[in-house]
Amino acid sequence: MHAIYGDTGNPIANGKLCPKGHLGTYFLYDPDRFKGPMRRTNPNKGRNEDPGFVPISWDEALDIVADRLNDLRDRGESHRFAHFYGRGWGPTDAGLYGDWGRLYGTPNSAIGHSSMCADGSKRAKQATDGNNSYNSYDYANTNYILNFGASFLEAFRPYNYLMQMWGKMRSKSPQTRITSIDVRMSPTMAASDRAVYIKPGTDAAMALAVAHVILTEGLWDREFVGDFTDGRNHFVTGEDISAATQVAVTDEETGEVTIQAAEGSGFVDLWTHGMVRWWNEELKDRTPEWAESITDVPASTIRAVAREFGTTRPAMALFERGPTSHSNGTYAGMAIHALNALVGSLYAEKGGLFYQMGPSYGGLPVSAADYMDDWAQNGAWKEQPRIDKAKTAEWPMVDSMMQEAGPNHLKGDPYKLDTAMFYYTNPIWSAPNPQVWEEALKDVFIIDTSPFPGETAMYADIILPDHTYLERWQDSPTYPFEGWPMTALRVPAVDPIHDTKHFGDTLIEIGKRINGPMGEYYREIDNVENILRHLAKGFEDNPGDNGVNSFESWAEKGVWYKKPYHWHHRRGTFYEWDGEGYNTQMTPDEVKAKLLKTPSGKFEFVSGYLENHADYIERELGVPADRAGLIQWVAPVHSGGGDDLFLVSPKTPLHAEGRSGNIPHGIANHQPIVGGKNTVYLEIHPETARDRGIRDGDRVRMTSAVGSIEAYCRFMPGHRRDTIVLPMEHGHWAQGRWAKGRLPGHSGDVTPNVSDPISGLASYYTGKVKLERV
Amino acid sequence: MTKWGMVIDLDKCTGCQACTTACAMENNTLPGENWQDVLYYSEGSYPTAKLTWLPRPCMQCENPSCVAVCPTKATYKDMDAGGIVFVDWNKCIGCKYCMIACPYGVRFYADEKPVVEPDVRDVFPGEGQLHAPPYQGPDSDSVRGIGIQPKGVVSKCTFCYHKVSKAPEGVADLDEDNPETKEFTPACVRTCPPKARYFGDLDNPESEVNRLIADQRGVRLKDHTGNRPQVYYLGSGADVPAYQSPKKT
Repeated sequence: MHAIYGDTGNPIANGKLCPKGHLGTYFLYDPDRFKGPMRRTNPNKGRNEDPGFVPISWDEALDIVADRLNDLRDRGESHRFAHFYGRGWGPTDAGLYGDWGRLYGTPNSAIGHSSMCADGSKRAKQATDGNNSYNSYDYANTNYILNFGASFLEAFRPYNYLMQMWGKMRSKSPQTRITSIDVRMSPTMAASDRAVYIKPGTDAAMALAVAHVILTEGLWDREFVGDFTDGRNHFVTGEDISAATQVAVTDEETGEVTIQAAEGSGFVDLWTHGMVRWWNEELKDRTPEWAESITDVPASTIRAVAREFGTTRPAMALFERGPTSHSNGTYAGMAIHALNALVGSLYAEKGGLFYQMGPSYGGLPVSAADYMDDWAQNGAWKEQPRIDKAKTAEWPMVDSMMQEAGPNHLKGDPYKLDTAMFYYTNPIWSAPNPQVWEEALKDVFIIDTSPFPGETAMYADIILPDHTYLERWQDSPTYPFEGWPMTALRVPAVDPIHDTKHFGDTLIEIGKRINGPMGEYYREIDNVENILRHLAKGFEDNPGDNGVNSFESWAEKGVWYKKPYHWHHRRGTFYEWDGEGYNTQMTPDEVKAKLLKTPSGKFEFVSGYLENHADYIERELGVPADRAGLIQWVAPVHSGGGDDLFLVSPKTPLHAEGRSGNIPHGIANHQPIVGGKNTVYLEIHPETARDRGIRDGDRVRMTSAVGSIEAYCRFMPGHRRDTIVLPMEHGHWAQGRWAKGRLPGHSGDVTPNVSDPISGLASYYTGKVKLERV
Repeated sequence: MTKWGMVIDLDKCTGCQACTTACAMENNTLPGENWQDVLYYSEGSYPTAKLTWLPRPCMQCENPSCVAVCPTKATYKDMDAGGIVFVDWNKCIGCKYCMIACPYGVRFYADEKPVVEPDVRDVFPGEGQLHAPPYQGPDSDSVRGIGIQPKGVVSKCTFCYHKVSKAPEGVADLDEDNPETKEFTPACVRTCPPKARYFGDLDNPESEVNRLIADQRGVRLKDHTGNRPQVYYLGSGADVPAYQSPKKT
């Protein structure tokens, strides 16, 4: 294979690719790839231990794994087997985990990576509008973007598509105005119309001040939010407002009695809930002057941004990891997302943000429920918590807590794992404080499926190497982008060049070898292609806009999609698509069921979801229980104690979620801002450096409570003086000949394992370090 | 007669380097041998720092400095090939005079110490060419410097002539969004996600590239040299800062 270009018929690619897409051939032909299954011969595990891999056949390898899993199940300890995964896509890979776990008997199928990814933003949305999801956006029609901490032009998602939208936004009339808020200079900040530097972990303060200005200056969207019954603006800094009392009104002609808001200066919520409490108990004193003292952003700037955002329609506020990767992250995300409610951009007709519909897949040929033996239905494994303790009283509101799994195993709390299988994830390197995982995984039987000899593989007992993405069939239901459903089908570009196996087929083949009805289930499922054919049956009655209505046409076109998104809100009413237009008015109950899925059926400034966990929040965050639901300022708690510099580890456009470390063409272009070609430099403000006797280009050491790493530094006067920037890429101790041993050290080694208690998001960006010259 | 030109809109360019990696992929260059490159510049300091970037292909100058100094006439401007400046690898002696003469720094001598070690050339060694990777492309023309070069010669951007030469005769623009011209569009132009790059005939007054240059007042970089590049830039800050030696303290 020589070259890869974007697929013209795919609505995300549109014939384009981001810089990583063109590196795919190097990935395919990586000389360090596993050529086939491997078995470990060196019983010792560690960073400097050679696994002593010997090649074995697939049958041997699968039998070894299945024998171990059968034995574990026969001993009644099936809960001690765990699946860990990262970049799963759909029913032909990570989607297999749910049934696998129910049939085999483990609560650990699967432990996903989302708590090390971006769960904070999902939880912020769940707490306010009831959707545990990322947003879809109508960028092409928006006139203002208020970007809190998203590296929009470097690592936001879907990246390729976002750059296309950038080109459109900057060319259209009127040109979309962009304000970016971040802790460092970046291409996103530089390309924006306004760049606002902010102190790390304080985004909520600015967002609340923006909300304060929007309300006091009368800029909110009355048809979504509501209004005072007398139509006057009673939002005055420092002064309470009141709720409109409800009175019974009798119609003189018909005699009909309705409940209405009394006349006067009370506030009536429309599609929002809790405005009166939010203003009175939190927002009324959150002025730009107050925010300036916390954020370092001048009050005049906050006011100007609020006015721009509040007077431009449609406008959207967006964020992901940046503001939420702190102890106060969920509340910060809620404060930012509330701005979308205030200006009416949620489910807006154009230029707003909403959610993502799933594809109309057909069902599997068999149902797992029909193949569950007694152990699966009633076994003692059902009493066991997950190894990461997600959804227990310790972490009640999280989806996953992968960063806790290694430390929990080391402590034997809740129990010790016996066997673990990894797919597209490498927490022994990528987790915060991964040194703990290096100790923890020494006594676990590890199965790794990566095609590459990464850190997990160095600890593996069995390697079951997957194809690369260029060699496999794989469906990929889209990451949220424009809301209407879409699912691409990866079709192999080449036959596998090594003796590798599709991860989905590997899982199915192991399943076939499990004793009892579980084996029968997987014999019925048979293989990945069979699953794909069954999924595609769902397209027969619901053909895509490009005519795809079968497996064959899906493979030919490479994607199924169906426009438009089915819902929007205009002038106070929600409408649903009826096949020809947005003509079906929705009742409040329908809105609650489908769109604003909160206890009140409205966008909540006082979150019922958080109020249900008020005691937990008070214990973990110190927020008084009776205030737990309020969107509010909570001061961040930074790890690092007396250390004085914030360390952030952003992703550049060449960074491919940890899979780009062994690509020399990527390494050579990784950090063009300061010329990082053979290494990635630590970017540092010259005065910060001089205060520590550090010169441009010196080798330096960063130290935190959990470890220290070294790097060469480069002066970057554009950054804040209290923040040093180390783009995340290198510091591998495996992963291939170009990745291994390349400076700088890995940022994870100095990142303490602390998380936002509400969302569980690992607080990668909240740590402080000490810096000295080596 | 066709005069191939490129237009790059710096107000749309997101600095992602897809153009750079597409070029490397298409032309099988070595790591860091960036025929197409994106140059970054920063000035000022917090809280009023400025950061800009510039995608930089070969300028395919109307009056090329490189051609003027080449002692063996290995590098030449071919008016029958849209005015693209080529390097004939059979005549090049690797003296690097052209590299010194070029005001824009677009030429490469890839025999040097590798930018990234271990050296890719040791992983995929070649005979008669610098390396022979499994992902090598099918096109090769040593007279035009297309393909993987032998030892001891200079290499540079060819405006993807191996694609462009197959375009229909007399077409005004090569646009990746037009199915008729997509496959002939240079790699960097084809892949640019914000659509910041355009390619067309500068000798055709009705071409899109000429319309963009006129409507948005496109500029040639370092015009004082008199080289007259066939690459034009649109947008604010379309210039290259003067060289400043880095301060160590």
